[in-house]
Amino acid sequence: MDRHHSDDSTDNGGDANGQRAKRPRPAPRPISATEIAEEFAHHDSSVARINNGSFGSCPATVLAAQRSWQMQFLRQPDEFYIHRLQPGLFHSRAVVKEIINAADVDEVSLVDNATTAAAIVLQHASWAFAEGAFRKGDAVVMLHYAYGAVKKSIHAYVARAGGHVIEVPLPFPVSSNEEIVREFRKALELGKANGRRVRLAVIDHVTSMPSVVIPVKELTRICREEGVDQVFVDAAHAIGSVEVDVQDIGADFYTSNLHKWFFCPPSVAFLYTKKCSAASCLHHPVVSHEYGNGLPLESGWIGTRDYSSQLVVPSVMEFIGRFEGGIEGIRKQNHDKVVEMGKMLAEAWGTFLGSPPEMCCSMIMVGLPGCLRVSSEKDAMKLRSFLRDKFKVEVPIYYQPPKDGEVLEKDGNNCVTGYVRISHQVYNVVGDYHRLRDAIHNLVGDGYNCDMLSSK
Amino acid sequence: MDAPRDDHRLAENRNGNSCDEAEGRLSKWPRPHPAPISAAEIAEEFSHHDPAVARVNNGSFGCCPASVLAAQLRWQRLFLRHPDEFYFSSLQPSLTRSRSLVLELINAAHLDEVSLVDNATTAAAIIFQHVAWSFIEGAFNAGDAVVMLHYANGAVKRSIHAYVARARGHVVEVPLPFPLSSPDEVVAEFHRTLGLCRARGRRVRLAVIDHITSMPCVVIPVKELTRICREEGVDQVFVDGAHSIGNVEVDVQDIGADFYTSDLHKWLFCPPSVAFLHTRGSSAATPRLHHPVVSHEYGNGLQLESGWIGNRDYTPQLVVPAVVEFVERFEGGLEGIRRKNHEKVVEMGKMLAESWGTLLGCPPEMSCSMIMVGLPGCLGVSSEIDAMKLRALLRDEFKIEVPVHYQSPPKDGEAAGATDKSGAMVTSYARISYQVYNVEDDYWRLRDAVHKLVRDGFNCIQSRYC
Repeated sequence: MDRHHSDDSTDNGGDANGQRAKRPRPAPRPISATEIAEEFAHHDSSVARINNGSFGSCPATVLAAQRSWQMQFLRQPDEFYIHRLQPGLFHSRAVVKEIINAADVDEVSLVDNATTAAAIVLQHASWAFAEGAFRKGDAVVMLHYAYGAVKKSIHAYVARAGGHVIEVPLPFPVSSNEEIVREFRKALELGKANGRRVRLAVIDHVTSMPSVVIPVKELTRICREEGVDQVFVDAAHAIGSVEVDVQDIGADFYTSNLHKWFFCPPSVAFLYTKKCSAASCLHHPVVSHEYGNGLPLESGWIGTRDYSSQLVVPSVMEFIGRFEGGIEGIRKQNHDKVVEMGKMLAEAWGTFLGSPPEMCCSMIMVGLPGCLRVSSEKDAMKLRSFLRDKFKVEVPIYYQPPKDGEVLEKDGNNCVTGYVRISHQVYNVVGDYHRLRDAIHNLVGDGYNCDMLSSK
Repeated sequence: MDAPRDDHRLAENRNGNSCDEAEGRLSKWPRPHPAPISAAEIAEEFSHHDPAVARVNNGSFGCCPASVLAAQLRWQRLFLRHPDEFYFSSLQPSLTRSRSLVLELINAAHLDEVSLVDNATTAAAIIFQHVAWSFIEGAFNAGDAVVMLHYANGAVKRSIHAYVARARGHVVEVPLPFPLSSPDEVVAEFHRTLGLCRARGRRVRLAVIDHITSMPCVVIPVKELTRICREEGVDQVFVDGAHSIGNVEVDVQDIGADFYTSDLHKWLFCPPSVAFLHTRGSSAATPRLHHPVVSHEYGNGLQLESGWIGNRDYTPQLVVPAVVEFVERFEGGLEGIRRKNHEKVVEMGKMLAESWGTLLGCPPEMSCSMIMVGLPGCLGVSSEIDAMKLRALLRDEFKIEVPVHYQSPPKDGEAAGATDKSGAMVTSYARISYQVYNVEDDYWRLRDAVHKLVRDGFNCIQSRYC
């Protein structure tokens, strides 16, 4: 092996477990700023795009790889179906297995998105209630800041089947993991009250709004101690944004979107199902020819559709390999930059961060000046639209409602009720955040507040 | 994109419904282009197909012309350029526009009845999950029946098992003869099966009826079967029309089923993948149908739930207007395409049957843009695996893509099976398709390939392939 290269081992042998080469040897020199800009030249250059968290991003080379897969299908679809699709999906799954440190490639399924993964896990819980494996009234625990769609899914599958749903209230702004752990323990006690069992805990790895990194490993450990049957980590944002080691975390089910922070086109996610759990009972809700052959195979064919976004994972690894330090390097750089930008904004606006830097990843919450008077979710949406339409700044805004009797954090004179969630991804530049800073200054300077926004 | 213009000719075929923007009705199908698309232009539109392959299997995976692919690419770029803007401003209105065009195409009564989903397999899962809940929640009793055809699609059969049987519903199959000589045979079997259920005191909660069966492929008289279901007190009817749209006429009000689904990527030139699920307004079940992937729109009606099932690529659902433009370039529009496809596939089917000394699997009026043609019995296809392997052989050695159906010989007491001119039992059928990109040479190549196999004494029993 060339001794000038890093000591990344390259095990090129492929075995039945899908062991493949580890991270590709980095290119001789890392990708340049110009090359990055080229890769994302299809982004609207007039927009300060500081919301990678919502819809992710996909570089041009990966889009080209996707197009190649699509054309292969269109050229001779039968041949593609018979010879190329399943090996291509297996290759992608094998790559995912490596990056998340799963024990076996059979534990890795590819699905459309974390929303679909949630439906799979929750439908399984639903059957358990319906078939009597779980008793009516047994509990499913979720975080208050669980993603809205997942909350609805829990209602649609668990509550409807007779399960009792418990929400773990979480403080925000938050200052330490201990606050979260405390609330979680309390919720589990509640779940076990009156002789109930807690059948499933749904824990976000990185909450969406407001965005904080949750100590999932510790919470999973607590679940085991407290006799929770199964743990499902909804890590929609995690892969490419925080380290993901599913064996270390120890959950039964773990899902993350590859199109948010892992440069895949829309859309693809993985759902990890630990082998020794009841994973063999998981089914994809769209039942097709592979029903009963295990979730990875069921998910690999759910009728005719475009599977190309699931096939480009190897191409994504090549792209990531061009960055110094690979995906870890990207994560670290994103984190450092988003904290730096977050602090810059908080300082400029006289506000504060929504969580300490160690509880954030490639996204961070920054308080908006209280004088903007964000006083509802509707206000937050309208302010967001206003920033998009007038300033061409794309950033989601979170409304933190004051609880009764609670004194909100202030920025001097006014309660901070609104937060921006800024993201940093490889295509972002400092100018994006300056534009946001100045847009807010502009609004404050004009004496603007949300009451003035006309209802749309 | 501009709204399609009125087409007076096609207005005659409808009920004379007036244009009503508030209902989401757009103009009827556009006036055809002055000069119809030429053969050279068609070839260009499908130049991304492998030119070496005689692609006689549009039925499995469909096809998509270059101009529609280009439209899809434009939508994809729009999303990638500024996804938030796309999500907040473009996505839902564009989905509504596609749904409006589908409403026109299928003669649905109201836009809320039309949902877009990935494919018919997904539509089936939606219906069956609803049935499962009905059993679980006690609306249906354990042992109540769901009836399906023996030739229902394999994936749909598994779905019925996964949802209905698991929830303690009783699954009943309607046996269907093949080859067929008239729709009456189908009607008779269906009647008999429902009668048996009645005699055994089984309430039939749902009938699942294919509009066009997949393998073997025949057109089922769905309107009549639906009528029979109403007479026999079947609660609800679900028509699985996966192959229908662009292949046979689809008038959901006329057919009268509670649920009707069809893939738009098979015969309506959409890219993979998109289907519609029509749910009749008056159906008692309509408010309770849910997409299994639950997201923000849960509870707001299936048509809205399906419009957002998490972040994904919705562009196949957005190109229906581009498809309309493509279709209008053909003489007679979609009806013209359907008619020509049917005439050609029957012509080619008869040519093959005559040449091989075999038979068609059904009379022409029970076929559409696909038809089953018996293969010479001497090929010795004696299992589904044989059929798969013969198909692979045709693909690998002759570059012909055609699915092969294995028809098991009749059992004792059943009517004698079909034989070919040499007297051998016909145990396999090729399902040939005809779509606008096909040329007669594709079918001559198939004809000659089978002749060669026969001449070479090929037999599945002996061949290493089978």
